Amino acid sequence: MLPYVIGAVVVVMIVVVLARVIRPRQDPVDSFRRQIDALSPEARRPTIDQVRDAAEDSGETGDDES
Amino acid sequence: MARDLAIDLGTANTLVYMKGRGIVLNEPSVIALNRQTGEVLATGREAWQMIGRTPGYIVAVRPLRGGAITDFEITERMIRLLLQRVGVSRFTRPKVVICVPSAITEVERRAVTDAARRAGAADANLIEQPMAAAIGADLPIDEPVGNMVIDIGGGTSETAVISLGGIVSLEAVRVGSFDIDAAIQNHVRREHGIAIGERTAEEIKVAIGSADPTQDENQAEVRGRDLMTGLPKTVLLTPEEVRFAIEDVISSIVASVVRCLSKAPPELSQDFLVRGMYLVGGGGLLRGLAERIERETEVPVRMSNVPLEAVVLGAGHVIEHYEALKGMFMGARR
Repeated sequence: MLPYVIGAVVVVMIVVVLARVIRPRQDPVDSFRRQIDALSPEARRPTIDQVRDAAEDSGETGDDES
Repeated sequence: MARDLAIDLGTANTLVYMKGRGIVLNEPSVIALNRQTGEVLATGREAWQMIGRTPGYIVAVRPLRGGAITDFEITERMIRLLLQRVGVSRFTRPKVVICVPSAITEVERRAVTDAARRAGAADANLIEQPMAAAIGADLPIDEPVGNMVIDIGGGTSETAVISLGGIVSLEAVRVGSFDIDAAIQNHVRREHGIAIGERTAEEIKVAIGSADPTQDENQAEVRGRDLMTGLPKTVLLTPEEVRFAIEDVISSIVASVVRCLSKAPPELSQDFLVRGMYLVGGGGLLRGLAERIERETEVPVRMSNVPLEAVVLGAGHVIEHYEALKGMFMGARR
């Protein structure tokens, strides 16, 4: 039984090492493009709107309280 | 499943942005401790109200000075409590992005990331405050144009030129709005012979402080302790007097903006004349500061729509697009 377990562990380790070695390197051009796209005003809009909406909601609540 | 977090760990205030939720915490970076037992008694706004008003066995402290951790252990406890308040437990370990001054040393960087990891973060990465501020202020930093942002915080003032998602030139000084408060405190002590606390100095700054003459030049009554008699005393302060008191600090901030402008490549410099510079951070709210910078640099200065939240908003955007923007973390571009 033990030799099978050891064999399975060795196979898994080889697969993991091979997966790391043959993993395609990230293309720097593609990476840069994705970064620039993520910084575009359209990409940023949901984050900024989310906070703006929350601020407006709390402002309205504040008015009600006063 | 933990929601990832962005933290603006400022000298004055700490803001936390939760992925998919927005800003979930905005409190002063203050912690109150029992001197004898070391137990935490309060954090945030509650602890801030205790500054200068505590009995001997309690101490209310700001664990960050000049944007850097001055007390690692207390900062770690403060971060741990902040994370607990936004729902982080030992079973939910989020990824965390922390905004820090760009001029911090390698040792200080490690202190911040270690503090966050030990406080419960699965992974902690840092991003420069001016970069986060530019993202949060909605500047078109994805374009090949010169964007200039001036971030005046509690302990640091940073000016950066940003184009195509990267910092082109940068100038940072460890001077901020707390130094303005300290200058007011020193002036009142020296010229009027009364001692005032840092909260009173801040109130004076907000009430009548300015970097340039303004239209409403009202005087302010200041109450403190007479250094000769030890009795409570009231004096009148004028805006001119406050301007004189804080002049060295303001000059230092303006000089750093000028140095950053002079380091920018000429192709980008011409953009500033059209697009202007953007002011963010609590210190940028000082009356007349935008006008003063504009007068000395001859470049238009505009106030961000979200001066206090711009930095955490920018970091929040990075946490929302973690995979695409992880190349912007400090140390990732080497």
